[in-house]
Amino acid sequence: MTTAKSSPRSWGLQLVLNALLWVIPVALVWLLATPVYNRFLLGSAENLVRLTESPNMTNLLRKDDHFAYVQRRDFPPSKSLVHSFRVTDVHFHLLMLGVLFLAVPRVPWRRKLENLGWAVLITIFFDILLIFFYVKFAYATQLGAWSLEHYGAFSRNFWGLGKHLLDLPFKFSLPFLLWAGFYVKDLMAEIRPRE
Amino acid sequence: MANKPSTPKSPSPATGSFWQRNRRELTFLILFVVILGGSFTLISLNWVNDHAVEPFTAGIAKMSGGVLRLMGQNVTMAGTVIRNPRFAVNIRNGCNGVEAMLIFIAAVLAFPASWKSRLTGLALGILAIQVVNLVRVVALFLTGVYFPKIFDTSHTVIWQTIVILCGVLLWIFWANRFATPPASEPAT
Repeated sequence: MTTAKSSPRSWGLQLVLNALLWVIPVALVWLLATPVYNRFLLGSAENLVRLTESPNMTNLLRKDDHFAYVQRRDFPPSKSLVHSFRVTDVHFHLLMLGVLFLAVPRVPWRRKLENLGWAVLITIFFDILLIFFYVKFAYATQLGAWSLEHYGAFSRNFWGLGKHLLDLPFKFSLPFLLWAGFYVKDLMAEIRPRE
Repeated sequence: MANKPSTPKSPSPATGSFWQRNRRELTFLILFVVILGGSFTLISLNWVNDHAVEPFTAGIAKMSGGVLRLMGQNVTMAGTVIRNPRFAVNIRNGCNGVEAMLIFIAAVLAFPASWKSRLTGLALGILAIQVVNLVRVVALFLTGVYFPKIFDTSHTVIWQTIVILCGVLLWIFWANRFATPPASEPAT
């Protein structure tokens, strides 16, 4: 922090108020970017999945602006769409991320935007990894006899637990975790023991 | 010119290793991840889910149904399901506020503060998160009845964001305002 120390109350309260003000602008940007970002995520995750298979068998197909299908090319056409998921649900945490990073009070804009940029970059990698886990989870646990034939007990548990942990706790807490990584020092610097 | 007696110096916070300079922050982040991962692994166990999470979720359904009845909705509740002739919701993990609670609990426990501050923060924070979650379930049910086209977006994007953001902002407010450092902790 480059400015003089403020009262402990005002920093946190200011952040909360700023966050409320930033919700609508960030939500609008996120909504506008969602169709493009969904396409980018599906393309990147498809490439990542294909790194783990030979020959390439997986396609990630867009259903509409929000949903996608996992298609396996080695399955009969009538059964090739093996799984579907809502892509937009993967990355709504970007909204929280934007709000939290932009709401930090008394930080120069340059530093704020730099930190936000790094956090968004990390989140993009996380989102691609999460879709990769969606696909692997579907292959390992959702395709009945085919899953049992191609994935052992350890693999099924690994992809199942991995998807559970990434999809719930880490997807939800990633913005906070990144925010804490960049700003918890500022927060701690604001705390002084009571008289 | 008199020489000062040389004394062994401990590394100052500005010149020490990365760990020494950021010990408190890194300890917080590591503890947070460990507690969060551990608690979510715990609730993923079938026994814990069946004996703790499901009854808790059923309690939320009952309370939300009660509020909806007070608002004139003709609803019935069965387990985690709330229904009326036009719409039904089944409250599952992700909609019971447990995720936001666990994130909040992990952050409070990992943060350097006295136990009194922590316990007060936990009690009030959990209560506040559950109140917001109650509003979410009621609002989602009414959205499903009157605006079904926006139910999906409202369910997975809007309200998830509101509940988690609420938990995070509550924590920041608590940490900044109420998290009195333990007596041994030097003031920064």
